[in-house]
Amino acid sequence: MLTRKAKSAARPEAGVILASNPASTASGGVLAATMDRRTFLKRSGLVAGGGALATQLPYNMIGSAEAADAPAGKTGVEVKRTVCTHCSVGCAVDAVVENGVWTRQEPVFDSPLNLGSHCAKGAAVREHGHGEHRLKYPMKLVDGKWKRMKWEEAIAEVGDKLLAIRKESGPDATYWVGSSKQSNEQAYLMRKFVSFFGTNNMDHQARICHSTTVAGVANTWGYGAMTNSYNDMQFSKAALYIGSNAAEAHPVSLLHMLHAKENGCKMAVVDPRFTRTAAKADIYTRIRSGTDIPFIWGMLYHIFKNGWEDKEYIDARVFGLDKVKAEIMTWTPDRVQDVTGIPEEEVFRIAEMLAKNKPSTVVWCMGQTQHTVGNANVRAMCILQLVLGNVGVSGGGTNIFRGHDNVQGATDVGPNPDSLPGYYGLAAGSWKHWCKVWGVDYEWVKSQFASQAMMEKSGITVSRWIDGVLEKNENIDQDSNIRAVTYWGHAPNSQTRGLEMVEAMKKLDLLVVIDPYPSATAAMAAMMRKDGVYLLPACTQFETCGSRTASNRSIQWGEKVIEPLFESKPDHTIMYAFAKKFGFEKELVKNIKLNKDKQGWDEPEVEDILREINRGAWTIGYTGQSPERLKLHMKNMHTFDVKTLKAKGGPCDGDYFGLPWPCYGTPELKHPGTPNLYDTSKHVMDGGGNFRANFGVERDGISLLAADGSASKGAALQMGYPEFDHVLLKKLGWWDDLTEDEKKAAEGKNWKTDLSGGIQRVVMQVHGCHPFGNARARALVWNFPDPVPLHREPMYSPRPDLVDKYPQPDDKKAFWRLPTLYKSLQTKVRDISKEYPLIMTSGRLVEYEGGGDETRSNPWLAELQQEMFCEVNPRDANNAGFRNNEFMWVETPTKGRMKVRAQVTERVAPGTVFLPFHFAGWWQGKDMLEYYPEGAAPVVRGESVNQGTTYGYDSVTMMQETKTTLCRVTKA
Amino acid sequence: MARMKFLCDTERCIECNGCVTACKNENEVPWGVNRRRVVTINDGVPGERSVSVACMHCSDAPCMAVCPTDCFYKTEEGLVLHNKDACIGCGYCFFACPFGAPQFPNGPAAFGMRGKMDKCTFCAGGPEENGSKAEFEKYGRNRLAEGKLPLCAEMCSTKALLAGDAAVISDIFRERVMHRGKAGEAWGWTTAYGKPEQARERAREQNREGQK
Amino acid sequence: MKKALFLALTATIGLAACGEHSQVPSYKQGNYQGKSDTRPWEGAKFAGDKQAWDNALRARNQGQSEYNRVK
Repeated sequence: MLTRKAKSAARPEAGVILASNPASTASGGVLAATMDRRTFLKRSGLVAGGGALATQLPYNMIGSAEAADAPAGKTGVEVKRTVCTHCSVGCAVDAVVENGVWTRQEPVFDSPLNLGSHCAKGAAVREHGHGEHRLKYPMKLVDGKWKRMKWEEAIAEVGDKLLAIRKESGPDATYWVGSSKQSNEQAYLMRKFVSFFGTNNMDHQARICHSTTVAGVANTWGYGAMTNSYNDMQFSKAALYIGSNAAEAHPVSLLHMLHAKENGCKMAVVDPRFTRTAAKADIYTRIRSGTDIPFIWGMLYHIFKNGWEDKEYIDARVFGLDKVKAEIMTWTPDRVQDVTGIPEEEVFRIAEMLAKNKPSTVVWCMGQTQHTVGNANVRAMCILQLVLGNVGVSGGGTNIFRGHDNVQGATDVGPNPDSLPGYYGLAAGSWKHWCKVWGVDYEWVKSQFASQAMMEKSGITVSRWIDGVLEKNENIDQDSNIRAVTYWGHAPNSQTRGLEMVEAMKKLDLLVVIDPYPSATAAMAAMMRKDGVYLLPACTQFETCGSRTASNRSIQWGEKVIEPLFESKPDHTIMYAFAKKFGFEKELVKNIKLNKDKQGWDEPEVEDILREINRGAWTIGYTGQSPERLKLHMKNMHTFDVKTLKAKGGPCDGDYFGLPWPCYGTPELKHPGTPNLYDTSKHVMDGGGNFRANFGVERDGISLLAADGSASKGAALQMGYPEFDHVLLKKLGWWDDLTEDEKKAAEGKNWKTDLSGGIQRVVMQVHGCHPFGNARARALVWNFPDPVPLHREPMYSPRPDLVDKYPQPDDKKAFWRLPTLYKSLQTKVRDISKEYPLIMTSGRLVEYEGGGDETRSNPWLAELQQEMFCEVNPRDANNAGFRNNEFMWVETPTKGRMKVRAQVTERVAPGTVFLPFHFAGWWQGKDMLEYYPEGAAPVVRGESVNQGTTYGYDSVTMMQETKTTLCRVTKA
Repeated sequence: MARMKFLCDTERCIECNGCVTACKNENEVPWGVNRRRVVTINDGVPGERSVSVACMHCSDAPCMAVCPTDCFYKTEEGLVLHNKDACIGCGYCFFACPFGAPQFPNGPAAFGMRGKMDKCTFCAGGPEENGSKAEFEKYGRNRLAEGKLPLCAEMCSTKALLAGDAAVISDIFRERVMHRGKAGEAWGWTTAYGKPEQARERAREQNREGQK
Repeated sequence: MKKALFLALTATIGLAACGEHSQVPSYKQGNYQGKSDTRPWEGAKFAGDKQAWDNALRARNQGQSEYNRVK
């Protein structure tokens, strides 16, 4: 059929024939020399050799129609390595850019995290390079219509309005919603920026995602992050996924899990729905949403009964288990079944699986965190793993899959209302520490705040800003109600109580959206008001560079792929511009270099910002990850072992990929990072550790420090010890191991505030000990509302009889500055299940991410999920009278009504319905297209499930209870 | 001699649609044309399986057999490609194909008004010069001429979808099957030879609902 | 006369079949008539070296198996 062409299309450069060695498929040599050579050429800076590069890539490589008319095979072709902007797995992306246009996307097989794999979103990120539905230029709502304006005007107007509000009502009258999609540098700068504006009223997506995890887990044993890693799960012999739909939320993590499964790992999934993850499980068990603690206690009941607990481990490293055990043993199988709906044999089966196939790991996500008892749920999981002796063990641990691509980083160093970068807290000492690093006067910063009291008080959370606007002034714990809100890289339709949110939007004086897309905020605001709303175009992470922290704490550096599209600007440039308007631009970048960008705007240098983080974030070890080390890792990904994440030879020899925090000490110390937390089998200078001494030395006469003999490998102190400060160092006679310069800095300081890093260096490198001490994990957390995790029925429960038995606690008067209802509301709605008999739960789809406006604006993704829908069991559908694919109404106690397509399926049990939360753009049955700026509405729009979600907040972190409320369904 | 094939490991496919968007990305296929789709059986119940389907580049391709303008040809690697210049959009190939691979940009329309047939090319382009602008606009990317393999398989989230020379991907799949320790994980084996674990799960589930 | 009639009848019967066509269609294999296609290894990158192209593909294929990098 084929005929040979008369002449082969030979080009002058074609003489270069690449040597490829098919035999070299052994470790590292996965790809032919082709890929390595391209990498080599790019990294060695020989980009100018267009001819050489051209042999790597096809000639006449014209991609999208917007590509500039480039002569074939000439210079202007580059490959930039970055990271996907969607979930926290952190899949690497090689972006091929020709003459400034992103024309192709190639898989990065070298990456130890994703090995070239992507899910639908990652495989489609190139669309960001020519997104048609972007917010192209600054806009302002004038008389109900979106009008274009110039950047200078926008900064001036918005700035003036904010300054005026600050003058009239104080800085706490403003609210700043920051972003988990900002890079570490941007998120960190945001914390600083809003602090200098004078308020702690800031937050980001972590609040509504894993805030309960961070609080609960950190209070158990030290740090509130994923203890092991996605890769480490390959060492697991059993895995329990509870409240996690990893197949849709973290698809590439399943690569590691399924590989483990093929090699003998057993997988169990516990979820109210039979999810796609459940389809891959060996054991699946259906649970009533909101009853995790009884289930976990039910498992522990069997574990204790059968003597499967790790007694040695508990004796050496756990505190307070007795009181918890007392509660656990009251959860007999019939009691568990009554509350959760799970029969004894199924609970037993999973408990046995975890106990008899160690090391076993657990995974949880929103299914556990988004409840009023979220903090207790996660602690119960920690206790489970402690009892089994699985923490600090490769293949074990609590593997918490975080959400957005940089939610971990934003939580670590970003705009949190209750802490400064590095979880330093808001006490005066913390402020002084950071002021020193920032190079600013503490008194000046204090003067920016309304008062010292306000400076040290946690701000309002993003889950409740609407109450900051709507609540009566005398009830809120700050002077003024909130008058201005800035949604900076955050969607509004992912927070509960949407009907009240639009009322709050109506009441505001000023609403600013800074985002690559107008987001649902623009549409919701335009629906409610005529003016006072501004949209400022920020650019995506592909149009700037920066580092982002994956869920396993590895930090990856992303290169800038293309210049910001249209008139968008990177977040940090916008921050600087506003800082200038507010008069503190010098303070903002005191120790940070400024460069001019292509439009002549001042841009703080991203690498320099990271260096500043390195100088200050000693608590969590964000100090060793200098830009240079991170960039070196990205260039040498293939040298890292996929299971252990350790580099074998090469320029990064001995490092763990991405220098997972804590990476203690200065970059010069060359700490390799910590792949698995609390692992006593390793030396602290090889990523080993132990539990943190953060809660005192003893409690009620019992020591909180680890038992004798329990310490990390090679530690000079083979017993429990408190955290290190200059006093302890001197007592131990280690003070003189410090250099003179280090002594000067470390005098009077502890391991968290010693800016020289000397204390950390001496303690770790010289003596092999852990700077944060060596203590026991707390099964009993006395500073929490429920020291022993207790089951409490959700606010809106389908079982009034259980509401009586397991009620919510008393209301709180001033909790994160707001009055918060618990028992009074639950009592009031005790019998509401008569009118709203079905449990409504919400969750993710693989095609979309978060609030969804970004991914629903990508036609490649949007085509796959074109309508908002609700999963209903056939029984409930038949009772309500509608059939598959017809329209239906979902109504909830908020009086919200959502018109969605019915998907009749057995995925959900009778009595539960499921709605994805990624949709926005319809309101109570009506399309909101007209309220979006012209041409910037997402391709796919649908009802936002959060119009119907109800009041209910975690008792420690103000996390919203999105996973379980009540509803009824009717035919449309 | 390379004989190119696709193989989708249904034990690993999680219906993430990465293959679908990778294809759209690389070949800039318009809305409405889906060269690759993921098909799910037993959706929502134990026993759920997904498989990614595109053109299977059949040895004895029915599309090629029925085409009235004979616009199909088979390359030496076994790929079934076609010439859009000769295509009249009659849709016979679509009727003939058991996998539904042929796609038409103008959707279901009258004879000839459907537009030129488009389908998976195994990222090997079509009868235009390799890597040329004309080839890209008509057929999508020619990765094979660059020494690369179809992007759908290269980007598969769990490496379920394999594409390449038959011998090579057979080896890859065989290694997995050996690790799994079960005889012939090709889908259907356990249905024929014994009750699958997941069917047991399903029965247990139904039993439990009966108890409620 | 009789002979002529006999001949005419025979001829008519004999020719009767000429007007009929077979009802069963027979499949004729078509031939591709369109543009010729360059083979993957012909072209700038591999310059006709089929072995090099085959090797490149084989090596690249290994990226689809994580077993190469994980035991």
